[in-house]
Amino acid sequence: MPLDSSSYSIAQLSTQAAADGSSYLEMGLTKIICTVHGPRESPTRSGSSSQSPGAHIETSISIAGFSGTDRKRHGRNDKRTQEMQHTISSAFSSTLFTHLYPHSTITISLHVLSQDGSLLAACLNAATLALVDAGVPMSDYVVACTTGSTASYAGDGEEADPLLDLNGLEEQELPFLTVGTSGGEDKVNVLIMETRVQVGRLEAMISVGLDGCRQIRGMLDRVVREHGERVLEARVA
Amino acid sequence: MPSEPAPSTNESTFLLSALRENIRLDGRALDAYRPISLTFGSEYGTADVRLGKTRVLAKIACEVTTPYPDRKFDGIFTINTELSPLGSPAFEVGRQDTTELLLSRVLEKTIRRSGALDTESLCIVAGQKCFHLKATLHVLDHDGNLVDASCLALVAALLHFRRQDIEVKGEDVTIFDVREREPIRLTIQHRPFCVSFSYYHNGEVMVQDATLLEEQCRQGEVVVSMNRFGEVAQIAKYGGAPVDGLSVLSCTTAALERVKGFDRMVTEALKADEARRDEGGLMAELSAENERPTGSMLVGSEN
Amino acid sequence: MPISVLPPAPAPAPFANKPQYGHSLDDDFEDEDEMDIDSLPTGHQRTSQTILTPGQLVTQDPQWMRGHGTFPLEDRNSVTGIHSTLAGTLQKTNKLLSIIPLRARYTPEIGELVIGRIVEVQSRRWKVDVAAPLLANLLLSSINLPGGILRKRTSVDELNIRSYFSEGELLVAEVQQLFHDGSASLHTRSLKYGKLRNGYFLSVSGMGGGSGVVRAKRQIFTIQTRRGGEVDCILGVNGYIWLAKHVAEKEGVGMNKLEEAAAADTGMYSSQNDEIGAETRGEIGRVGGCIRALVEGGVKVEEGTVKRAYEASLEVDEVDGEEDYLGAERGRTVVEMVLSGRG
Repeated sequence: MPLDSSSYSIAQLSTQAAADGSSYLEMGLTKIICTVHGPRESPTRSGSSSQSPGAHIETSISIAGFSGTDRKRHGRNDKRTQEMQHTISSAFSSTLFTHLYPHSTITISLHVLSQDGSLLAACLNAATLALVDAGVPMSDYVVACTTGSTASYAGDGEEADPLLDLNGLEEQELPFLTVGTSGGEDKVNVLIMETRVQVGRLEAMISVGLDGCRQIRGMLDRVVREHGERVLEARVA
Repeated sequence: MPSEPAPSTNESTFLLSALRENIRLDGRALDAYRPISLTFGSEYGTADVRLGKTRVLAKIACEVTTPYPDRKFDGIFTINTELSPLGSPAFEVGRQDTTELLLSRVLEKTIRRSGALDTESLCIVAGQKCFHLKATLHVLDHDGNLVDASCLALVAALLHFRRQDIEVKGEDVTIFDVREREPIRLTIQHRPFCVSFSYYHNGEVMVQDATLLEEQCRQGEVVVSMNRFGEVAQIAKYGGAPVDGLSVLSCTTAALERVKGFDRMVTEALKADEARRDEGGLMAELSAENERPTGSMLVGSEN
Repeated sequence: MPISVLPPAPAPAPFANKPQYGHSLDDDFEDEDEMDIDSLPTGHQRTSQTILTPGQLVTQDPQWMRGHGTFPLEDRNSVTGIHSTLAGTLQKTNKLLSIIPLRARYTPEIGELVIGRIVEVQSRRWKVDVAAPLLANLLLSSINLPGGILRKRTSVDELNIRSYFSEGELLVAEVQQLFHDGSASLHTRSLKYGKLRNGYFLSVSGMGGGSGVVRAKRQIFTIQTRRGGEVDCILGVNGYIWLAKHVAEKEGVGMNKLEEAAAADTGMYSSQNDEIGAETRGEIGRVGGCIRALVEGGVKVEEGTVKRAYEASLEVDEVDGEEDYLGAERGRTVVEMVLSGRG
């Protein structure tokens, strides 16, 4: 299995003291800081949010101008960013126990420092870590990764080799999808694909993605445990 | 934001318990669509799709502009979605809500990013002049499943549309009026259609073509866009309750069947429209001088 | 002010692809299944030393009840096990299993002493920020009005509501009641509670199992400082701390006397600070520095540790010469002395 690529990831918890929860995640050259505020009283008193039985999850993604290869200003109103924000909010609203915090808001802020592929996946993973750090109850981690298929869509070859965890260049050239899981091994929470691919290849891509998610889950779990042990050590020592 | 009031507890409980027994409130099968009607306007590039009570109108317009400097050989193709209070009181003028965002993103990915329209064929003079194709979608009535209806309307409108003929002689470009020369079809490389699935009871019940009430009660959705050759243009599952990986795959299989149906329907509707326009059988004489053989061949081969 | 430069922390080692971690999920589940819950001592202060993470199976044994931080997962064969929803440690109270998170927002509980800040004044109540998910309520009827505890609340009081507490002011109060949505209702019907002045506010992380303030026998205590007289410390369970110049307490406050005292204490809702001597200010600052050092060192903040840290800071001063700043190296020394004193 071509799956070693998760080995160059770096993750940390509690990087920002002022936030309720925070994390820093590197997946290859994609680097993200995530902070979580809340659950706290909704800042705007809108009637719609108090109706809802659970906490409202807000996500904001800011992509630094220097994050890509060419310097670009990324407006907040970029539809792609907005779509990602929506995806992250809705992925977590099914996994977090929002009903424990009625009338409140959980704000997830993601800051993309450097991007080189797997952006949505990295954002989801970073947000998971920050939410764990913030002590927001969840049924399971939300973990995500990208998978691609080697040949372009012209061929219909079933023998095409699936790739895991794509970088920016690969994402431009190959058909790929982002798969996110939570709550058990094969439960797909998020699945986003934006490139053309033969339907026959999906199965292999998704199954490789699920496998990758399992590995990333193991990695995040280890990060959380190590962090927890450090905290406990400091408390007892 | 005046969002749609959530359905009452009684309604949603009833709907969910009925779905648990594979019964839908309007008596359809889980994978059945509401009656679809596709009509074309008298002008080229107008398609009106009705899906039960949902009604969407797509209109294509075309004008000449300068291409983007980084894409000199491509024409411009933009998709604009108009969700006005006409369709539903929940939509506000000038304010983008999530429904609109997701709708426009799905259409963008399905039709633009998948290369359904050959934008190179919209180029007139590289780097100087090109056609700007503007597709506008008007939601006239919203009763669920906007995505499928909009995508169908948009693809049908693109297939129906004909742009003005042009002639390039060195630096000089002549654009012929519709009355001077028969306008020509767009080069459509494939016809992707969206099929959305709503799921309930943690993915145990999958429903196609959800009504508005069903949409409000669902746990999540999967939107699959593909063409009849089984090429998936995009898949979107934005969170929601987690489902099995396998059930997502089964969505694509179901979508393929549905898409083939859509494709047949659009082809037939186009044929019927052409027959209507071709009163007296004079159409053959009016062919454009520089009509692209690929365009006509493609359409011919797909018929 | 002296500035200490912290040495850069080494970057975390990249994760080597350790062979076991592909299987770690399943292995962990099996290990935890056999986690010896029986031998875990029951009680508030004792938790297991193993970390549980979200989604992890705690136990499948039906004898245990699930408490905070856990949820039942229905399997296909409907075996319900108890799973964790948080990253934290396991706490057992008789048959109840709950997970204490490593860090979380403060969740109010009845009877807890909190320090809050008024964020909004409404017609008959105040909205108070107590670092909880929702703002707490303080009703006009649950404060001591000047002129005696038994005085009837009048419409004039409603009009003058801002003269008691207005936006931005701090107060110490007790959680009286919890609402359905988890928000708290406070009261200040005791002379211990009320508006805060003459002091210094400090915010650390609260009772989320974090390293901040912990629930203890006494949340309010007085430190006899070396030079500046007595300093009152109020440790709000929500992580807000107030350090102020000591005010003489009226001895033997009974029901009747309380009334008199309240009547006499016209300055109860004053927002004017008294004149505080430079030495007292210095000592308040020192206590604040000690608490901050404790938090940084990951030591819980309670009466004992604060007092020991204060003593330790004086010792450090004797050894190293006096300095106002209690951060970095000096802070760590203080923390070490506190910990060694306890061990």
